[in-house]
Amino acid sequence: MSLEKLSKLVEAGEAEETKVLTEQLLKDGIDPLEMIETLTKTMAHVGELFAKLDIFLPEIMLSGEALTEAVNILAPYLEASGGREIKGKVVLGVVKGDLHEIGKNIVKLILETNGFVVKDLGYNVDSLTFVKEAESMEADFIASSSLMTTTMPRQLEIIEILKSKGIRDKYKVVIGGAPTSQLWADKIGADLFCYDAKSAPELFTAILADK
Amino acid sequence: MSTLYRHWEIIDRARTGKFMEEEDFLPKHFSPTLKKLIKKYEIKYDPKNPSPTDDAMADRIWQAAWDLFREVGYYNTDSHRIIEVTDEEIKEALYMASDQYVVGGGKDARVMRHRSVEDPEPPFCIMSPDITVDEKYHQSMCMAYLKEPLLDGLCGPILEETFGHLIESGGPTEISGCIQHIQNQKMAARLLGRPDTFMVAVGTAEHDSGQIAVSNDEWGVQKTDARLVGSLTEFKTADTLLNRSLHYAQYGCYTGNLTGAIYGGWCGGSEGTAITTVAYSLIGLVIHGAMFNQHFPFHLNYVSNTTRELLWPISMAGQALSRNSNLLYTSNGFANAGPMTEMLFREVAVHAMVSTVSSWHLWEMASTRNKYRNRATPLEARLGCEVGHAVARQKMSREQANEIANKLLAKYEDHAADAPMGSEYHECYDTAKAVPTVEHMDMFRRVKDEIAQMGVEFPY
Repeated sequence: MSLEKLSKLVEAGEAEETKVLTEQLLKDGIDPLEMIETLTKTMAHVGELFAKLDIFLPEIMLSGEALTEAVNILAPYLEASGGREIKGKVVLGVVKGDLHEIGKNIVKLILETNGFVVKDLGYNVDSLTFVKEAESMEADFIASSSLMTTTMPRQLEIIEILKSKGIRDKYKVVIGGAPTSQLWADKIGADLFCYDAKSAPELFTAILADK
Repeated sequence: MSTLYRHWEIIDRARTGKFMEEEDFLPKHFSPTLKKLIKKYEIKYDPKNPSPTDDAMADRIWQAAWDLFREVGYYNTDSHRIIEVTDEEIKEALYMASDQYVVGGGKDARVMRHRSVEDPEPPFCIMSPDITVDEKYHQSMCMAYLKEPLLDGLCGPILEETFGHLIESGGPTEISGCIQHIQNQKMAARLLGRPDTFMVAVGTAEHDSGQIAVSNDEWGVQKTDARLVGSLTEFKTADTLLNRSLHYAQYGCYTGNLTGAIYGGWCGGSEGTAITTVAYSLIGLVIHGAMFNQHFPFHLNYVSNTTRELLWPISMAGQALSRNSNLLYTSNGFANAGPMTEMLFREVAVHAMVSTVSSWHLWEMASTRNKYRNRATPLEARLGCEVGHAVARQKMSREQANEIANKLLAKYEDHAADAPMGSEYHECYDTAKAVPTVEHMDMFRRVKDEIAQMGVEFPY
């Protein structure tokens, strides 16, 4: 019974066993913060494996579920000791007219397992909904994905709504999706072009530091 | 005859089928079932052989795909219901499916037939840039593709703007852009003297309203043409997609089922990608009444399918479909490199060769990861289709294709992640005359010679 075993269970995506062992380790007096730090490293490792496609989406999703089981148990203890560091709050979704969400789901998982709080709006999301949800959760980021060239203009629409409401500077606007590019980000005035999922935590963290 | 006699009954299940929350469908239903079937049918990827010869495994992949479709069903994201079908319905649909269709019209009509593994009859060649182009190049690019001698069908480039307005899916600009798209394409065909060439159109339509707006036998998409209906990754649909297949059937044109199983995604690895691709052909037939299936399985990171982990499932899926059905299916190449690079020419050659000996028809060629505007030209499609014709006519075996594929893969495989972006259409072509530049033709001939020396016997 060890942190090493807990790490292996999360990597293997064994949610139920992760839950049991987390509770046991707490009873044994293991520091919750130490457990979280271990699992954060585990998920970084899992993320690297996925980035190289040494493992595939179903496996990393299961690891994410196992991590969630552990975090849910540890959360009250972490709150008591000052809480887990939240790196940023993100409203995330796929723009209106676009029903493709696999990339968005991967970004969500990678961000959540790296300390971000993500509100997933799903797909085919109206531009105004992005803005209203960002206001509601007091987000740092509005991140939108578009897989189709003809839905990319909705990313511009989000920025235009922010400008119309006089709140453009309240949020970092992030764009992503297969046909998007730095050129498109520059053209519409987005703050960040997120070119792949694995880079998202680093890119989001860096741009928030510039805020 | 397709399966549209059952269309209403099948579609009705999108309202009455088993309820499931969407977030559970893929992780808790699709992926575990696929994983179970890979194990049950002992499907094993062989990285040494991008053009494998394991007939028994091809048959097991077919059986696994059948089970996958029947056990998982097809999820409608609007109703949160699963459309399920029975073994009897799949068998009936396969019995009723025709093994050939006449497409296009008049002197431009072509027959698209079911192909066998190592079939000596050349593949049906649909050419497409698969990408967006500047409005000013759209008609020129359509003409450039229609100048290709081996073209049997055209799927034109996609517009992002219509008369200076950004096209927004579902809005009026999309309807306008779709009309502009089909008229450019038809006008190009008329000017070139191939007015009734088979077309798959229009890619500019992301929304069903855009497709419906161009159904017109006088000036739009004709009944001798085809339209595509896609799936959502994986095994998911929506009312906007079901609207399309119903409309296509009621209008009277041909339906193509457009799917791209994602390697690294919910399918997992090469084994799952092969099974899912085959299952999508059954979905196309039974759910959408498709005359043909247009498959582009691709790599999650590279968004390409010219590396061996994608070539293997493409080859195995084709062999599985050929040996166990009389269906029609096109293999859509997605390359890493961009136009006017030797790497792109080698990628398209390998994709076309492996696909052709594995029974596929060809749909060539999305370049530069199908991502960048203006980065596609007809010359890469020409090379792919010339390779397809050559290997069919010379009765190339899968073993020989495997040997040549491995030689060509050795030249580009390590550069999948950092492939050169190449040049844009207007840098490779005289856009006024719609002909390739001397530099582009020289590179085409150089790589064609290299491939010929490896054993591909080009007819000219």
